[in-house]
Amino acid sequence: MTKTVAMEKMLNKADLAAWMGKLDSHRLFSPALEDEDVWNYMPVEEAAKVLLNHPNTVRPPKGFVFPQREVLYEYSQVPGEAPVLNETLPDPAPAVVFGVRPCDSRGLVRQDIVFTKEYEDPYYQGRRAKVIYVGQACNQPPSPNCFCMSVGGSPCAEDGLDVLMTELDGKYHVKALTPRGSELLAKGGELFKDAQAADKAAVEKAHASAKAHPQRPIKDLGKVAGALKANFDSPAWDEMAKACIGCGICTFLCPTCHCFDISDEVKCSSPCKGERVRTWDSCQFPDFTMHTSGHNPRETLGSRLRQRVCHKFLYFVENHDTQQCTGCGRCVSLCPVGIDIVSVVERLGQP
Amino acid sequence: MIDVAALKAHAKSLLEKGSVRAVIGYRKSTAGLLAEPATIADADATDDLIFDPTCVQNLALYLVNDKKERVHSRSDDKRPIAVVAKGCDSRAITVLLQEKHFPRESVHVIGVSCEGTGVVDARKLAKKLDGKKALSVNFDGSEAFSITTEDGAQSIPAAEVMAERCLECRSAHPTLSDMTFGEAKSERALHAPFQAVKHKMKDEQDNRWAFWARQFDRCLRCYACRSVCPMCYCEECVVDSINFAVLPDTTADEKADRIKWIERSPARSETAMYHMVRAIHLAGRCVDCAECERVCPVNIPLRLLNTRLEMEAFETFEYNPGSDMNAPTLTSSFRDTDPNSFIR
Repeated sequence: MTKTVAMEKMLNKADLAAWMGKLDSHRLFSPALEDEDVWNYMPVEEAAKVLLNHPNTVRPPKGFVFPQREVLYEYSQVPGEAPVLNETLPDPAPAVVFGVRPCDSRGLVRQDIVFTKEYEDPYYQGRRAKVIYVGQACNQPPSPNCFCMSVGGSPCAEDGLDVLMTELDGKYHVKALTPRGSELLAKGGELFKDAQAADKAAVEKAHASAKAHPQRPIKDLGKVAGALKANFDSPAWDEMAKACIGCGICTFLCPTCHCFDISDEVKCSSPCKGERVRTWDSCQFPDFTMHTSGHNPRETLGSRLRQRVCHKFLYFVENHDTQQCTGCGRCVSLCPVGIDIVSVVERLGQP
Repeated sequence: MIDVAALKAHAKSLLEKGSVRAVIGYRKSTAGLLAEPATIADADATDDLIFDPTCVQNLALYLVNDKKERVHSRSDDKRPIAVVAKGCDSRAITVLLQEKHFPRESVHVIGVSCEGTGVVDARKLAKKLDGKKALSVNFDGSEAFSITTEDGAQSIPAAEVMAERCLECRSAHPTLSDMTFGEAKSERALHAPFQAVKHKMKDEQDNRWAFWARQFDRCLRCYACRSVCPMCYCEECVVDSINFAVLPDTTADEKADRIKWIERSPARSETAMYHMVRAIHLAGRCVDCAECERVCPVNIPLRLLNTRLEMEAFETFEYNPGSDMNAPTLTSSFRDTDPNSFIR
């Protein structure tokens, strides 16, 4: 990463659409209503209608780089001949995603660890290189179950973002955080004015006030991993998972969950033709750990809840020295039966 | 008005006497306004039990889950399990009994009245309160909910924030119970039966397909609708890869050649197939608890699919699922008077 001083600019709120208009080399996305009460990242059809006043989206923006279905390769075989494999690396048109909440961009950083640190996944990287993330600081908590600060984040965190926007009175404070972000601002040209000392003071004040909103605390975050390890065999896992219905909501809508399954989709059997695809999978599904022998090492709901919580607060910490939960609160808000990761960590993740 | 203290006392006495293994009921959740299901085995913990309009879940599901769990456990405890049941929950239990999923004596049903007002729809309530956070919701007579926010308590007409299913509910009082709390108010019928689906049916076929195509395209395939349904108790589900019994002598070829009925890809064809299979398997069994619709994180109106088939069962065969545990199930019975226009 180049060590340039972050570029701080001011943009009139009314000029947001004009800026978006200058970015026509990219596909633009912003939070919009996919259905009644269901916020999602949708293609920007009319820039003037983008308000960036959204609550937390139901779907996190992870699908841009880790889509629910990715074709790995196509295969075909003519009888008597060698099979033909055709790798299908994605090459999407460049995109800019607006309105990304800092918890979700921190989720992206965790996805980067999984898909690029030890093994470089070309499918993920092919998409990742093409998406620019414009963040939106949360002046007001976008969800009643936000707990970003309890897992080391903040409503104005910058990790994973190319640009961070903060709404001020009638204006946005726009901070470029990467060279890609700076280029994006440069395209806006005259629309942007340099941030003055007063603007910088105002943005600091807005961030301080955002951080002052009370959130659900996790005490002694540094000790959670150890405590979870000590409580691995606790009967409380089964007890807390008793209400769990075993659906995929908590994991599919998590900005950091990244598990997938690989299967062959046969399009035609003669001549043999099809695609090998990877699709989202969930540790909460009964067949996730099913062995071919029929034995399932994670048969019970309790063991699956333990896996989800320990992956985020123990195994990921051991492997990568950071939590794999960014406190977006989706799994808490959207769980049909009120299973609450903060309560679980409070109960089993405290020494 | 339902006496929650008496409900707690009943649960406590059942556990103290040891006449049940546990009580499945509701307690307050840390996650938000809606109650959470609680399985309580300790008599002292019965004080946590609540019953108010936030108790939306159909607890019959946990009888199914309990049975599954007991198949794997080595416990020889033959005592029944107690369950708190609203009208819709009791209908679900009745269907399970009709289908011989478990014997009548294995369950002690604590019927609760939803007091003519049914349960709350959290999305409608949030909209009604316009950003204010509801702290509690209570029954307030037969036509209103008493809702507490930071600004104090207010009474809101129940019909404005009631769950859709409750508006069309035709038997709000438990049809099956060993002990009932609250007033018997069996008829609510604020909306005509099957009103929502009949309204949708008026639309042109092409528009209806366009509507469902959009819904299926939005489906996440998280299977919450299946997982929450007490009637979706199949050991083997068409969407899972475990729908194939693997035995010691199952060959690798047999494993590889297993039929995949539905691909994992969230493609329209696969998703449509999943929802159709589920809806058809629920014909004459769905009690319209509408949990499938409530839990959907992307708001797909799944109730329309299920009530469409319930309407068929009702209008063609006068069949009401969950009304009589001694009656045969729809698909296992035949009467001379049944219309047979489809037999050619």
